[in-house]
Amino acid sequence: MKRTRTLATGLAASMTLALALTACGTADDDGGSTTADGTPEPADITLWLAGADTNDDLRAYLVDTFAEENPGSTLTIEEQDWADLVTKLTTALPDAANTPDVVEIGNTQSSTFTTAGAFREISPELYEELGGDKLLASFVEAGSVDGTHYALPYYYGSRYMFFRKDIWTKAGLEVPTTLGEFGDSVKELTTKKQSGFAMGGQDWRNGISWVFANGGELAVKDGDQWTSTLSDPNTVKGLEQWQDVFGASNLPATAKDVAYWDFLNDGTDGEAPDAATMMAPGWARWSIGDLTKNDKGEEVRDGMADDSTFDIFALPGVDGGVAPVFAGGSNMAVSAQSQHPELAENLMRIIYSDEYQTLLAQAGLGPANADFDKLMTVDADGNPNKFGEVTVATAQASKLTPPAPGWAAVEGALVLEELFQKIAEGGDVTALAAEYDEKITPMLNGQAG
Amino acid sequence: MTSTPTPSAAAAAPTTSSGAPRVAIRRRRRPTTPYLLLLPAVAILLVGLGYPVYWQVVTSLQQFGLMQQFGAPPTFVGLDNYVRIFTDDRLWAVVARSIAFCLVNAFLTVAIGLGLALLMRAVHSGVRIVLQVVLLLAWATPLVAAVTVFRWLFDYRTGVVNWLLVELGFEGYAGYAWLAQPLTFFGVATIVIVWMSVPFVAMSIYAGLTQVSEEVLEAARLDGAGPTQILWRILLPLVRPVLAIVLLLQIIWDLRVFAQIRLLQDAGAPVAETNLLGNFIYELGIGSQDFSGAAAVSIFVLLLTVLLSAPYVRSLMKEDAV
Amino acid sequence: MSAVTDAAPAAPPTVVPPRPAAARRSRPRVGKILLSVLGIVVSLVWLFPVYWMLLSAVTPNARLMASTPSFWPSHFTLANFTGVLSDSGFVGALRMSLMITGVTIVLVLTFAFLAALAISRWRFRGRTSFVLAVLFIQMLPAEGLFIAQYKMLSGVGESAPVLGLNSVLGVSILYTAMLVPFTIWMLRGFVAGVPAELEEAAMVDGLSRTKAFLRITFPLLAPGLVASGVYAFLQAWNEFTTALVVLPAESRQTLPIWLRSFLSASVNRGIDWAEVMAASTLIAVPVIVFFLFVQGRMTSGLVAGAVKG
Repeated sequence: MKRTRTLATGLAASMTLALALTACGTADDDGGSTTADGTPEPADITLWLAGADTNDDLRAYLVDTFAEENPGSTLTIEEQDWADLVTKLTTALPDAANTPDVVEIGNTQSSTFTTAGAFREISPELYEELGGDKLLASFVEAGSVDGTHYALPYYYGSRYMFFRKDIWTKAGLEVPTTLGEFGDSVKELTTKKQSGFAMGGQDWRNGISWVFANGGELAVKDGDQWTSTLSDPNTVKGLEQWQDVFGASNLPATAKDVAYWDFLNDGTDGEAPDAATMMAPGWARWSIGDLTKNDKGEEVRDGMADDSTFDIFALPGVDGGVAPVFAGGSNMAVSAQSQHPELAENLMRIIYSDEYQTLLAQAGLGPANADFDKLMTVDADGNPNKFGEVTVATAQASKLTPPAPGWAAVEGALVLEELFQKIAEGGDVTALAAEYDEKITPMLNGQAG
Repeated sequence: MTSTPTPSAAAAAPTTSSGAPRVAIRRRRRPTTPYLLLLPAVAILLVGLGYPVYWQVVTSLQQFGLMQQFGAPPTFVGLDNYVRIFTDDRLWAVVARSIAFCLVNAFLTVAIGLGLALLMRAVHSGVRIVLQVVLLLAWATPLVAAVTVFRWLFDYRTGVVNWLLVELGFEGYAGYAWLAQPLTFFGVATIVIVWMSVPFVAMSIYAGLTQVSEEVLEAARLDGAGPTQILWRILLPLVRPVLAIVLLLQIIWDLRVFAQIRLLQDAGAPVAETNLLGNFIYELGIGSQDFSGAAAVSIFVLLLTVLLSAPYVRSLMKEDAV
Repeated sequence: MSAVTDAAPAAPPTVVPPRPAAARRSRPRVGKILLSVLGIVVSLVWLFPVYWMLLSAVTPNARLMASTPSFWPSHFTLANFTGVLSDSGFVGALRMSLMITGVTIVLVLTFAFLAALAISRWRFRGRTSFVLAVLFIQMLPAEGLFIAQYKMLSGVGESAPVLGLNSVLGVSILYTAMLVPFTIWMLRGFVAGVPAELEEAAMVDGLSRTKAFLRITFPLLAPGLVASGVYAFLQAWNEFTTALVVLPAESRQTLPIWLRSFLSASVNRGIDWAEVMAASTLIAVPVIVFFLFVQGRMTSGLVAGAVKG
């Protein structure tokens, strides 16, 4: 089975190679063969999903629906590890014979691959059909070059604060309404054994929320050149405020964006928790709560069932409201080298269908299409769901990293981890900002080094 | 198996110090045979490494980034990439760090390996078997698994090392982040690498030691040699060839350490200050899509290693009487 | 074996012919006892990481997070193992790893043995350069080669899929090329240790060259081949980055890659150390089995090869 398929792919590849060669340099208009009546030739196409966030039900839906709507064709889903996604995309996407047809890619990585020409253009008609302006704008921008769309949003997950209500209440503290108040509260809660706010020093993805909240930017585009703007007064202000808040964290300055949720739980022998507050994506709730037994008799957390002990709030803005936090999530694109672009586009149609968007929202993943956000805010029985409400509220205020061609290089070289670590260690923010501006600007424009 | 340099053994493998005799016997055969025997190995090296090495050389002379990877024609830039990396302070910091790390680890591994080999020789046979089995287990533990275990042991929150230190009265180690400082990071990395590499070294040296016959040692003792003298004047000279070869191998291998560092960095570490050469190349290439820079560094590392090990290799080759 | 002869000239003149050892038991035994105690302590220290891995693997994760660690299995469970084994990727990855490692060992040993034979039994033009080249090839950093390796296998795969990406043979050839140099270096000592005269003598007794080789030389070389095989096994079993790139299909991944994705998937959900340790244990088991299987031969192999270098 496997061998015949490989052989078939090989044959198909060598046949289309001639086509590809003549069409070299231009967008590969119609690599896939079509039958006489215009429907795409049946084939097996491949979808790469990153990480395990797309659950088994969602995957089964995609596979079944695709097979149903495209008789004779099948969909294979392969899961890629986030840590190695860039490596694998770099090698496989340019390779016509082995490229996955559709790929999920981190939202902050999209712009780099889009600019390099890795993806197939999504025609204006198709873009409208898949949701058009209803699609999450910041993600769409990350996957576009000069108004042409290449990668579309897949799902978002925004970050908000999880806290120990019992500890906050005992200290006489209320849910903060401004970012400054948040900082003061968590510092007050900090003891030698307990972080007021657990956050790793290298965790820039949470940290840049303070930059965004103060009106700062990481980089701006001037003409066709990107410039790193860490030294912008607003950015510096945000970084300094974050440096101050880091004082409420007992975590090492080198700790990454780790699984903080365990910090909120009581120890297995009833010890006090390691932290009073932490910031995480919504699904963290399932790792928080009191110990209970699941159906299989394993000891698990109960998902914050006790709401007098555990609760959530959105990070407040500088002057109240909701702070613009960093939106996690990913984009979806068709490989420019796909040999079955029509089938790949059919798969995109399924992903952006009402049914699938509904499934995404119900699975707790922020749907690409804003029409389905409301599904997040109620649970299966129609009752208000505070987790979903906060997710949508923070997502509406959320921001992304700059859609610069070299952004993936900045992330790949772990430059921001380094910068935030140095700030967490108490470094002089203004000096560090200037130093890293110089380092980041050439990388943003895709200049090596 | 405890053969001494008796006449029969000497006849079986004539001494190499004079060189030629051992191989002389085959002179009469057609000289094509050795080439035929080498053919498969040379072929597999050409097939497996030929194109990658060629690509490496060519890419190091081009401007080659993600655009080129996705089909844009690369431009020839001569030695620009080399100039660029040589003027990059990061490179020299990484080179110095890698060489220091490699030498410390190689010598430490061989020293501990030698110590354990001597220990195995000196203890009761039951203890020796226990030691051998334990070393075998450490040797057999796959790399990813070993690094993962050590990460867990040194975890700042729930790691058993910090817990033990606190129990022993070192309160300062509560929540101590071992991987946060370059020095302690390399301390942990050294522990992992030494733990994994010592078994091979210890067993090789022990194997060499078993070749020293008990009679020789007994005789030396009767002549009044103390344990120290026996160690320095009989045992060490006898295993010197083994020591030399395992040291060379450790140096080569420790200069290429990559996966251990990367997996430890995953746990949260000052990455730029803990990168070794392999990590630097990987981060430059796959991380920042500067493939030409990565290729140039690779070629530089190859030349550097050859240069550094040349004197040592030459003396080894001389001993081998090539 | 005859291995000592190389080093013998370096031995000091105190070496005298053996005498009947009258005083054999006369040395104090306190020293030996102390050293044995030291040996036990060292064993325990060296064993601890492995023990901790096993212990964590049979403890529920929630218990591992306790502030006071337990040093023996207080809440024994096999749930972590069943959790790992129910992961769809494990069995496939195990099969891939076994096949790739097996093919690699065979190729490496065959090619390296022939080359070792050539350089230790013949003196020919280019021999020294070959030996040096073989040593230096090992010094090439592998971290920059992935893209080229991918392109190569992808190109080959268009006409011969069994050698292309995702193929056992393709990745085995890359591994073989990386491992052959050291293996030649290692086997060279063993081959040189087997005197050609033995073979010649057998031929005088009427055996054909092939028969003489198979009956006389080969058995003497077996320990060396085993020792080199162990080396190749460990390298192929542990290799990570090349496999990541040239085996892109999820169904074709090897165990180290499977473990890493298991680990990082787990990171996103809060590391389940217990399951990760169970997975690590499962990956170590085939190696330990292999080691036990070849152990006897390996020790004598190291003995024979060691002094020779």
